[in-house]
Amino acid sequence: MPMYQVKPVSPGEIKIDLPTCMYKLPNVHAQGTSCDEHALQNGEVDPTVKVLEARQDDILKRLYELKATVDGLTKTVTTPDADLDATTLSQGVSATVFKGTADLDCLLGKDLGALRDIVINANPSNPPLSLLVLHSLLCQRYRVLSAVHVHSSVTVVAPSLLSCLGPRHTDSYTRHRFELGFTLIWKDVSKLQMKFNTQNMCPIEGEANVARFLYRLLGAEPQDPVLATQMDSWIDTAVFQLAEGSGKEQAAVLRSLNGALGRSPWLLGQEFSLADIVSACCVLQANNCTSAPPNVQRWLKSCQNLGHFNCAYELLH
Amino acid sequence: MTKENVQGASEEEPQGQSKKGLKKQQKEAEKAAKKAEKQAKLADQQEADEDDFAKDRYGVCPMVQSQQKLDRALVRVQDLTPEKAEQQIWVRARIHTSRAKGKQCFLVLRHQQFTVQALIAVGDHASKQMVKFAANLTKESIIDVEAVVKKVDQKIESCSQQDVELHVERIFVISQSEPRLPLQLEDAVRPEGDGDEEGRATVNQDTRLDNRVIDLRTTTSQAIFRLQSGVCQLFRDTLINKGFVEIQTPKIISAASEGGANVFTVSYFKTSAYLAQSPQLYKQMCICADFDKVFCVGPVFRAEDSNTHRHLTEFVGLDIEMAFNYHYHEVVDYITDTMVQIFKGLHDRFQTEIQTVNKQYPSEPFKFLEPTLRLEYKEGLAMLKAAGVEMGDEDDLSTPNEKLLGRLVKEKYDTDFYVLDKYPLAVRPFYTMPDPNNPKYSNSYDMFMRGEEILSGAQRVHDAQLLTERAMHHGIDLEKIKAYIDSFRYGAPPHAGGGIGLERVTMLYLGLHNIRQTSMFPRDPKRLTP
Repeated sequence: MPMYQVKPVSPGEIKIDLPTCMYKLPNVHAQGTSCDEHALQNGEVDPTVKVLEARQDDILKRLYELKATVDGLTKTVTTPDADLDATTLSQGVSATVFKGTADLDCLLGKDLGALRDIVINANPSNPPLSLLVLHSLLCQRYRVLSAVHVHSSVTVVAPSLLSCLGPRHTDSYTRHRFELGFTLIWKDVSKLQMKFNTQNMCPIEGEANVARFLYRLLGAEPQDPVLATQMDSWIDTAVFQLAEGSGKEQAAVLRSLNGALGRSPWLLGQEFSLADIVSACCVLQANNCTSAPPNVQRWLKSCQNLGHFNCAYELLH
Repeated sequence: MTKENVQGASEEEPQGQSKKGLKKQQKEAEKAAKKAEKQAKLADQQEADEDDFAKDRYGVCPMVQSQQKLDRALVRVQDLTPEKAEQQIWVRARIHTSRAKGKQCFLVLRHQQFTVQALIAVGDHASKQMVKFAANLTKESIIDVEAVVKKVDQKIESCSQQDVELHVERIFVISQSEPRLPLQLEDAVRPEGDGDEEGRATVNQDTRLDNRVIDLRTTTSQAIFRLQSGVCQLFRDTLINKGFVEIQTPKIISAASEGGANVFTVSYFKTSAYLAQSPQLYKQMCICADFDKVFCVGPVFRAEDSNTHRHLTEFVGLDIEMAFNYHYHEVVDYITDTMVQIFKGLHDRFQTEIQTVNKQYPSEPFKFLEPTLRLEYKEGLAMLKAAGVEMGDEDDLSTPNEKLLGRLVKEKYDTDFYVLDKYPLAVRPFYTMPDPNNPKYSNSYDMFMRGEEILSGAQRVHDAQLLTERAMHHGIDLEKIKAYIDSFRYGAPPHAGGGIGLERVTMLYLGLHNIRQTSMFPRDPKRLTP
């Protein structure tokens, strides 16, 4: 049945302003589609993809360049010895816990012939257990000359505090045979204080911050920024809410510790870290080890089994 | 009237035995008596017709020549406490200040560093003339007063005995002072700096030393020398407890003990001798004679023409020498522990003295560590290098560098007392034992208080052969030290020791700035008197 012809309702060539925020799709009704499909099937790459790939390459290249610059900068910042290869440093501080070979020259500045002596002023009423644990770890890594002194601002100090760094080293009469000095001074200070290089460095205050400094000497801090942040966060939680917090806060921290330790053996996962040291010491010091939840108890037991906590346990009992 | 008066007094009030300085007292008393006579004559004329009902209650005693032995108990000023209220007592003291006001007269009486207020008012016990007599007494005169102790409502801030005052009933002069004093005691105790601001007088060092007897009466001087005696006592006690033996060594010696440049030569009959620079050689001989641990306290002479705040030509040396078993650090530990015991003892027993001195010469309390911090010379140099001081590895520390190092150590360790160990061999005397591992260094040590050296010591060479070599290396005439070297030929125990300057320890413990303040009668290149 023949149809009659009708004039188009709208003119065929209408210009429509399409919104730019949307993808552009080729007109499905358009004539040439079949031809494009054909081209792709032949293994030819869409020029737009090529452009995209080129752009990605460009970005990656720029990132590598940036990394190189940053590496160069770290090299100049951390090592006064320009001839020291920065790559050895980044390899040295590998993620394997307590096996990294941190270079004291890099971390503490160049040796001028003096013993690098770390001086810690602590109040005998609040012995810094975590630092004692770190001290025993440092002793495994370096030849450490440990000394305990009593400042004249303190009159009486318990004998256990005087022997808390272990027996005197047999070589202690020759100071230059040691790589690192660890001098603990029992003193009437309101806040724990560490002094290392009084010329170029202000004193570091607070047990957690000193612990971070000492931990870095072990060259074992996590390289992954996420893990590093988690570690810092656990340390802060432990110090501010467990050691200094109210009963309520302490209970909350113990709950969250319990949760985290249910998922993994250590706070940061598979690796023992400073987060475990500081948190465990805070739990021990808060003296609620027996009332602690099961995962925390198990974790404390594992900490104790490592052997580094002996000095802390000796002070508590 | 004068005669009667004096006689009346003598019948009632002659004093118990005068102690030492009798001659001086006699002289003073003679002068005083003459003066009193004059004054009294004047008073006589003026008040001839006035009747003095209290005339035998005051006056100038005749010079105490031990005419009578009175059984009168004298209460010390420091014992005048509220518990003694309403008691009638006798006190002997000096007149510190006096202030007359119409019918009454206020005196401040002083004995040693203690003061109390006394009041004489016209009334039942005192006449107008008696008040006038009291008001005219010269400062620093020594008097006996009979008085009733009274509690006061308001604390007397200007005296050490703040809760009581004395109501005087009788007053007699024992020894009168000349009216013009070469220096005023108030000026001599004024804190440094105060005088400049308010335009008030301070007394300079030479005036003080020229009039040492009066200067020593000040509370500050009293406290300093009481503390110094404490240092000596604690030194002795600690060492005797540790099994040391106190020895006496000769001060006139035939050969210079250390090198020879800075010894005093004295004529010795037909030849000459020297004054001992240190008891060093004799201490060592005692060790060789099996005394094991010895110490001695005695004068040491140095003919060094240095006019500094810390050098004297004669000072008191506290010397230690000790045989050890295997390592000279055994001796270092003994000495440092002795020092720590002294510091602790001073802190516990001399708190009032320390505070008294601090009032005039404020300083930070002395801080120390136990056990004492020991650093090596190399470390000290490294610390100085880090602070920007360039010096050779084998140079001796200069005084400014010593001070700077003291500051650096204090900054890091917060201690005013530390030991610097392992000095370069080149800067030590010939008898110093070289380091076994490095021939450039030696087994020697210095100890520092507030950044100034107080002790210098070492392990000594106890082998005659090595000693001869070392002496020759230093170019010392072997003939002169033959006796010394010979004493090691018959077997000598390994030993070490050191000598401490008493004046320096006192000065630095109190944070004073001049060693003349801690030497009672200092000797320096420019002063031989008093």
